[in-house]
Amino acid sequence: MFFNVTRARRYLHQSHEVFPSLSGIVLSVGHLRTFKSMTDFQEDGSPGFSSLVSEGGLHIQKSISVCHDERCSFSSVQSTPDIEKKYVHHVYDAIAPHFSSTRFAKWPKVATFLNSLPLGSLILDAGCGNGKYLGLNPDCFFIGCDISAPLINICAGRGHEAMVADAVNLPYRTGFGDAAISIAVLHHLSTESRRKKAIEELVRVVKKGGLVLITVWAVEQEDKSLVTKWTPLTNKYTEEWIGPGSPRVRSPSSLTLESISETEENSFGDCQEKQMSNKHTHLQKLDGSVAYENWTNNKNQQEYFVPWHLPYHRAEVSGESARALANGLAKKDDKKGAVVYNRYYHVFIEGELER
Amino acid sequence: MRLLTHNMLSCNIKGVTNGFPLRLEVEKFVEKEVDFSAEFLRNIFPKIEWKALVDAARSMGYAELPDEADSSMLDSDDFLKKFHHALLELHLEEGALICPETGRRFPVNKGIPNMLLHEDEV
Repeated sequence: MFFNVTRARRYLHQSHEVFPSLSGIVLSVGHLRTFKSMTDFQEDGSPGFSSLVSEGGLHIQKSISVCHDERCSFSSVQSTPDIEKKYVHHVYDAIAPHFSSTRFAKWPKVATFLNSLPLGSLILDAGCGNGKYLGLNPDCFFIGCDISAPLINICAGRGHEAMVADAVNLPYRTGFGDAAISIAVLHHLSTESRRKKAIEELVRVVKKGGLVLITVWAVEQEDKSLVTKWTPLTNKYTEEWIGPGSPRVRSPSSLTLESISETEENSFGDCQEKQMSNKHTHLQKLDGSVAYENWTNNKNQQEYFVPWHLPYHRAEVSGESARALANGLAKKDDKKGAVVYNRYYHVFIEGELER
Repeated sequence: MRLLTHNMLSCNIKGVTNGFPLRLEVEKFVEKEVDFSAEFLRNIFPKIEWKALVDAARSMGYAELPDEADSSMLDSDDFLKKFHHALLELHLEEGALICPETGRRFPVNKGIPNMLLHEDEV
């Protein structure tokens, strides 16, 4: 079925890209997280968020217990920090259908990677979201997982193999996959040790010589005005959540790093051309290869709340949004006609992934 | 959930050493046709834990697979067709996956397994 269905799906995906302005915007949304109008979502710059952050922040301060002790580091890696539950899991659960409808542009580098894999490869997508990349290469078999059940329901509705699972602790046998991808996922993990564990999981589940592709949002962005639209979490909160940055002990496998810079232009129909510099970092390991991709951005500030506007007419009938409003997790923005959620992002600085 | 996926899944509760293979509890399964590709099957075959596949297929009522298999059998069209059917065309829609060591149930609904662990299991 997946061969059949993916052929049909390919057609569908291609026809999406025929709507030039829409997919162009979404592509730039994907890369730079600007929500330009034309569809339902808009930029957020309102000062209303600082109050939300402080409410949310205070609440979080009480509930997170900071473990500096090495002994608790294992459990704090595995159990999900509160900030992720509130500002990642619940938000994505609530916005799933809307989010999914905006996620149809395929980032070209990811598509190239997937299409370069040999026939019959087993590809694992950890944090697959709405399954946008599942089945992209019709000669391969994809298995996706995501922590968000509503998003997985959407995947499965498209006929893909998908399950609800945690990227920090993949329920997969070691070395089963031929390749693994983690597209725009790691930046939702709030601590360095969790991010590291997630990367270790990706490497564990692929065979020796397998390939892993990771993409994350980077601090260095072309358009500096964008970052001002995000709400930075202040240093005080950052220390509480993130904990002291400890230097990682590297295992003595030989690692060679290659940086390949390139500039990419997107032109889609009516949209303005956005120039972006992409940095590719290729990591060679004896027993596995890891390719990194960073979309580059800005400064020392790395922890952000990035808004997601869920338009009123899209807010779920189930009352998820009403609950979120009641809990202070979201705010109504009547001017824009949307319920606004904040999503947690740890934005990567250049070279951070390689460490 | 297809049996190819099942062949990869393992219980990841902290401390569990023997989390594979998960036993199938089948409430509802369906058969969905999938395009046959011999090359795909030949590529996948070395990854497969054969006994786990045989047992899982049996729990869905398919007993045509030989108890043991080796790569020489990949030349047989008949074998490939059976392999194909068990691996890709049997879908567990409703039921559960049971950890062989702890007995923990991972529910499967609408073909989607939920492998998330509770706070005390990580």
